[in-house]
Amino acid sequence: MAGGGGSSSQCLSYAGCNFLRQRLVLATLSGRPLKIRKIRAREEDPGLRDFEASFIRLIDKVTNGSRIEINQTGTTLYYQPGLLYGGSLEHDCSPSRSIGYYLESLLCLAPFMKHPLKIVLRGVTNDQVDPSVDNLKATALPLLKKFGIDGEGLEIKINRRGMPPKGGGEILFACPVRKVLQPIQFTDPGKIKRIRGTAYSVRVSPQMANRMVESARGILNKFLPDIYIYTDHMKGVSSGKSPGFGMCLIAETINGTILSAELASNPQGQGAAVLPEELGQNCAKLLLEEIYRGGCVDSTNQSLVLLLMTLGQQDVSKVLLGPLSPYTIEFLRHLRSFFQIMFKIETKSPEEEHKGGEKVLMTCVGIGFSNLSKTIR
Amino acid sequence: MEEKEKEKKKKHRAKHSGPKAEKKRKRYLNDLGIGEEEDARKRNPKAFTVQSAVRMARTFHRTQDLKTKKHHIPVVDRTPLEPPPVVVVVVGPPKVGKSTLIKCLIKNFTRQKLVEIRGPVTIVSGKKRRLTIIECGCDINTMIDLAKVADLVLMLIDASFGFEMETFEFLNICQVHGFPKIMGVLTHLDTFKNNKQLKKTKKKLKHRFWTEVYPGAKLFYLSGMVHGEYQKQEIHNLGRFISVMKFRPLTWQTSHPYVLVDRMEDLTNPEDVRINPKCDRKVSVYGYLRGAHLKNKSQIHMPGVGDFTVSDVSFLPDPCALPEQQKKRSLSEKEKLIYAPLSGVGGIVYDKDAVYIDLGGSHAHENEEEGVRPNHELVQSLISTHSAIDVKMASSKVSLFMDSRPLGSEDVGQEFVMPKEERQIDLKTGRVRRKALFDEEEKKENDDAVSDEEDDQEEEEAMSEDGSDGDDEEDAEEESDEGEEMALGSAKRLKTEVAKEESMSELPAFADSEDDLEMSSEEEGKTAPEENEVEEDDYDEQGTYRNESSDSEFEAVSKGVADSEKYEIASEDREMRSQLSARSLKKKTVLTTDSGNCTAEEASESEVESLDEGDDEEQSHDELEAEVSNQKQFQHTWIKKADSSRQNKLEAVEAEDDDIENLLREEEEYEEKTDFSADTAGALKWKEDLTQKAAQAFLRQQQSTPNLRKLVYGTAVEDDEHESEDAGDELGGLFQVRRPDKESKEKANALDCSKFLIEKPQDWDLEEVMSSIKDCFVTGKWEDDKDAAKLLEEDELYGDFEDLETGVVHKGKPAAEGDESENEEEGNDGKKSKPEAEEEEKKKERLDKKRKLKEMFDAEYDEGDATYFDDLKEEMHKQAQLNRAEFEDQDDETRVQYEGFRPGMYVRIEIENVPCEFVLNFDPHYPIILGGLGNSEGNVGYVQLRLKKHRWYKKILKTRDPLILSLGWRRFQTIPMFYIEDHNGRHRLLKYTPQHMHCGATFWGPITPQGTGFLAVQSVSGTTPDFRIAATGVVLDLDKSITVVKKLKLTGFPFKIYKNTSFIKGMFNSQLEVAKFEGAAIRTVSGIRGQIKKALRAPAGAFRATFEDKLLMSDIVFVRTWYPVSIPKFYNPVTSLLKPAGEKDTWRGMKTTGQLRHERGIKLKQNKDSLYKPIVREKRHFNKLHIPKALQKALPFKNKPKNLEKKGKTPKDQWRPAVIREPHEKKISALLNALSTVNNYKIKKARVKHRQQVKEYLKVKQKEEEQKLKRQKEAKKKIYRILGQREKKMQKSSLKGSSEGEKDV
Repeated sequence: MAGGGGSSSQCLSYAGCNFLRQRLVLATLSGRPLKIRKIRAREEDPGLRDFEASFIRLIDKVTNGSRIEINQTGTTLYYQPGLLYGGSLEHDCSPSRSIGYYLESLLCLAPFMKHPLKIVLRGVTNDQVDPSVDNLKATALPLLKKFGIDGEGLEIKINRRGMPPKGGGEILFACPVRKVLQPIQFTDPGKIKRIRGTAYSVRVSPQMANRMVESARGILNKFLPDIYIYTDHMKGVSSGKSPGFGMCLIAETINGTILSAELASNPQGQGAAVLPEELGQNCAKLLLEEIYRGGCVDSTNQSLVLLLMTLGQQDVSKVLLGPLSPYTIEFLRHLRSFFQIMFKIETKSPEEEHKGGEKVLMTCVGIGFSNLSKTIR
Repeated sequence: MEEKEKEKKKKHRAKHSGPKAEKKRKRYLNDLGIGEEEDARKRNPKAFTVQSAVRMARTFHRTQDLKTKKHHIPVVDRTPLEPPPVVVVVVGPPKVGKSTLIKCLIKNFTRQKLVEIRGPVTIVSGKKRRLTIIECGCDINTMIDLAKVADLVLMLIDASFGFEMETFEFLNICQVHGFPKIMGVLTHLDTFKNNKQLKKTKKKLKHRFWTEVYPGAKLFYLSGMVHGEYQKQEIHNLGRFISVMKFRPLTWQTSHPYVLVDRMEDLTNPEDVRINPKCDRKVSVYGYLRGAHLKNKSQIHMPGVGDFTVSDVSFLPDPCALPEQQKKRSLSEKEKLIYAPLSGVGGIVYDKDAVYIDLGGSHAHENEEEGVRPNHELVQSLISTHSAIDVKMASSKVSLFMDSRPLGSEDVGQEFVMPKEERQIDLKTGRVRRKALFDEEEKKENDDAVSDEEDDQEEEEAMSEDGSDGDDEEDAEEESDEGEEMALGSAKRLKTEVAKEESMSELPAFADSEDDLEMSSEEEGKTAPEENEVEEDDYDEQGTYRNESSDSEFEAVSKGVADSEKYEIASEDREMRSQLSARSLKKKTVLTTDSGNCTAEEASESEVESLDEGDDEEQSHDELEAEVSNQKQFQHTWIKKADSSRQNKLEAVEAEDDDIENLLREEEEYEEKTDFSADTAGALKWKEDLTQKAAQAFLRQQQSTPNLRKLVYGTAVEDDEHESEDAGDELGGLFQVRRPDKESKEKANALDCSKFLIEKPQDWDLEEVMSSIKDCFVTGKWEDDKDAAKLLEEDELYGDFEDLETGVVHKGKPAAEGDESENEEEGNDGKKSKPEAEEEEKKKERLDKKRKLKEMFDAEYDEGDATYFDDLKEEMHKQAQLNRAEFEDQDDETRVQYEGFRPGMYVRIEIENVPCEFVLNFDPHYPIILGGLGNSEGNVGYVQLRLKKHRWYKKILKTRDPLILSLGWRRFQTIPMFYIEDHNGRHRLLKYTPQHMHCGATFWGPITPQGTGFLAVQSVSGTTPDFRIAATGVVLDLDKSITVVKKLKLTGFPFKIYKNTSFIKGMFNSQLEVAKFEGAAIRTVSGIRGQIKKALRAPAGAFRATFEDKLLMSDIVFVRTWYPVSIPKFYNPVTSLLKPAGEKDTWRGMKTTGQLRHERGIKLKQNKDSLYKPIVREKRHFNKLHIPKALQKALPFKNKPKNLEKKGKTPKDQWRPAVIREPHEKKISALLNALSTVNNYKIKKARVKHRQQVKEYLKVKQKEEEQKLKRQKEAKKKIYRILGQREKKMQKSSLKGSSEGEKDV
């Protein structure tokens, strides 16, 4: 009789290592156990990679009472979520993926912890694969604020910059705790009023940054005069272990929509050397591409905004997005299987022709999520 | 005569109140000259001037405080447009008149009289309100459950007796679980003969009620009974009160979906029940959804049963709908609906897959008076026919069946709202038909059964199922002979079914589903594919629900045929076809599993039968036979068989369409893959198809919105087109989905990255590309309604709106309309060509403009009053409007997908794996509630509470004693540990709850959101005169680890003491342990503080410690540590609904150790040390005085010990005897003593006095002496002076003449 309750919620099962992060995050938030099979089962090097293992360790760190079982070859993962705990933590991220890989998921979880999360992440801050820390700092944090997650506790601070392959960067991410989220109606992106950005360089000539800025300005000036790109050259201990440079551009509209684009140089010893001018130009073009896609949230944060809408009160939330990325589409499906939530998806073609591509209006009713970890006094 | 009359006449009494008196007073005042100015402020303004600014400020503050106190935090109003019926719970102690009140209320609203009330009764009480009235018994389980779902509580109080414990218990339960509206109703007021006494009692009860609820709570008086009913007018008034009452939303109720079940059906495969009567059941429950949106496949809790996952939800047409048009003032008789399936009202019940007629049990027509039942002629007539024809049941059935046939083909599951009368007709027939089968089958089993019994059974069958559920029990009680048969319940019924089928060879006797099949197959040839689909839908559901083994095989085959036909017919319409096939495939999988469930013998049997019947399907015959043989071969496990049947089917279909086969195979693969859960299945379904056919489907579906939805959620992607796998990488610019065209596995293991990479970047150097985003910047062109220049221009235009502008149409809308208006706008664009339309638009635009300006003005004008509260309220209001408007235009099917089933819908919920006792022991008097659970509320963990023992509960609660908690939807038994928080935040374990203080409690149990209230009882069984609620409180925190600690003191003893350092042993067992405690503070019992320094090697666990003072060897040293307590993982849901009827209030969970010991007479073995013993004081033994020799030497001789010893030995005879006085002597001596004391005192006093006197005397004497001396001195002085003068004279005279001198002398 004793313990008759157990965890009676159904276990979800998936195959393959793709979308591991969103599955783990959603399992944690929904409290449903999860099983992932066939992780690289057919490959020469089967099982979980080091960065995934590191991610799982991170999840273990921020939660209390979760059960994680991995079979011997690492091809099967069983995860029974506990409660999100938070607090002051440190984590060494694997240098094979950037901190952005970890930070993206932490952004989803952080508002629902027991204690406000204050975590130091060490590893690669900027790389070519994942959204960089600069980018997330500029785009994701304003997004969180729209849902009522704000206050001085919310910050991302880059203490040290680390470029691949060796990394050596360090950031601090702090986020306050909320019990409930506000619904949003975010359907009018507004017009872009300014473009900002950061051109960073570590362990290379500080001139690189200036060169990038110049070339990027050259392209963007055709559209808008209000452009300011900061140059950020880090020296000494704060410059990490590998050389590299890159750029992150932010376009801000009058309604507070933030679109972003970024590029980083090839890691040392991999691929051809990139000219900073070329990189600057390409990055600017990427930003234009992002503007063409448009929407109220940039393509990287689509899934974050959809998640926070889902976890809102039982009210209608709306957001206008650009074309859905494959990652987002998958995320929507996961949202349905974890939360039984379906979005109303409407295509909106802009009424005027000079406003970029087609947009998607996403509407949903929140599930009335409340932070079960937070203590009341 | 006149005089007499005058005497008789009463004196005139002037009116003191009422309009007339008022008028008079006014006139009087007018005469006085102060008429109009009744207001003292106006009359006497000086008296109301500001006298003190401080005072004024204070009064202002106070009024503001009072005002704000009234505010509630504004919440978004989420009540749907058509709210569910209000739940009215009628509570009270037994025999207080609950049922009578309900009956009267029902009669008041519907003009119908119910004889017995079982379960909830839903009635239409007004144009906009429905009520669900339910009676609450005195079982604490029922009280707890109903308090959680109640909107309004009618609390009946027997005024002749006063308040009873139940009332207070219920009030306390309500308090904990959110306070619903409570209205008191005093009954039995007619027992008071004395009017004064009555008034007094009323007042007393009212005030007590007010203290419990809130001052001013409504208390209703029902003054007495007339012919066994309450007075009509009073009931009418009460009804008015109820139907205009407003309710404040309660947090728990608005955040969780819940259903108060008004009907329950057992859907278990009767065969399974036959094989194992105790098998888990599949049930469907019905009721209005309340609270929040319910999602399919979500977790629910059934209080009294347990946790389940919803396996299916569907909404049904409202059985008790509100009247459609609202223009009339009152309801017509037709609209005064009543719906109470458990009470058997309404007679006919509609379902998505069945129709039920309630005939009121086997003896219903005998013991009920005519006209008592709601007058449904048809039902009545049915009853009468039944009683008339008792033996020749079969023939009557046939006739009925024939009638019904055309009607039966109609799909009951379709949403249709028809007048009630009409519904009765067609549905009745459908129902009877279904039931007839049951009867006949039953007959066959019980061959020996008497015809009377058959009748009874048939009647039962014909009833609505819930009715029959209830009546089963009745029957069992009434007819003992039949009781045996009924014992097995539906399991046996199934058996009979099968048997009967065999006996009846005529066409009408076949199972209805088969019949359906027949019809559908006939129709298939003629009708369009859509209709086919509909048919199958219906048919399918029946199949799954009945799950009759015989049908399933047959169905599957026929379905295959049907499919093939469909494909042929609908080849032109691609879209339609794909959808259909997708659906049919889904169904097919369901069916195959069904077929797998049955045993082979039955399958074959049924197939033989079906062969007899299904002659029109000639093509499928061969395959069918093959299948039968196949089936017989495989008699191993059901899984295998399912597979085989699937394969068989495949073969059957193969010839006709290859596509289908392929699809089926895919389906199979997919089936195998998704063996985990339904959800996963859903999730994987799209994946498979998507990766394989992504591109092609894409191109086609790209443009329209629903296809975008399908792309994401994959409802339409299961089409059969997989001809081309050429991936379109550039798809209209919106979606550039790049999926590896190989297997999904590869995709599944792809790189996990959220970035949306650009496949084909545009050339941003080109002018046209650049211009495509030109307007995204502030430098680009602005919309008309935002462009400053344009706005200015328009403002000028606004004045002369008569002027017709040409060509240019302003698209811009006021910002207030937002995106909603876009569609509308597009619609307008279409009409652009027509000039009138243009004008119309202009006009509209102007109106909009005007409105906008007015809004702006209003906003500006009202700015002054707008407080934060108002703003917040406004915000909430806007959100509520948006919530309502967003999905308004969609049909329910789609809407349900987006937002879930919304409250107010009448839903049917299927639940699987329900314990069989739930069905077997079903008692309609006990409410069944389905409470939806939020995310992770189905999980368990450690829950921390703030708890206070109820002040009326007589005992205190002991840690680690099991306690029954009502928390959230649940009632469960668990083992709480009480703790109290110390000042440093430590949670220290308590052994008992404090008496009048809050304490903390932690238990292992279901995770429930913080802030949820709970109550605890020690037992839910039986009744006690005492108050049953043991404690109340609130959830504070949820965790997966424990923080409660208890004190543990480790003691040790010094074995070596230096100055301030000591070596302590016995506290630890090893050096390692000591190492762990290095630096810890220790203390002796006597209070000397110290510190652990370092472990010693010699005795294991000994250590060196320093203290602030030197220890004694007798000291005990201890270290105080805190040890985390383990909380027993005991969570035991109260399964009171599973108890047999009549014993539902006897649930007993785990007993406390105390109870167990008491029951078994086990005495607690006491610790020996804790026992009290007689105190034995040891005699104190002192050592001899030892004087060192050196000292002895120094002593004087007589004090030397050896001399002392000698001296001490005085012979006895020299001892002086002690004098013991007699009392008399004692008295004398005491008196003497006293006298002598007095005497002594006197003497002493006299002596003192004497001394004083002497002193004074001497003083005086001395003074006199001094005086005397002084005088003598002066006299002497005088004499000597005279003598001196004389001598001088003499000397002078001698000098002159001695004679002279001699003379003088």
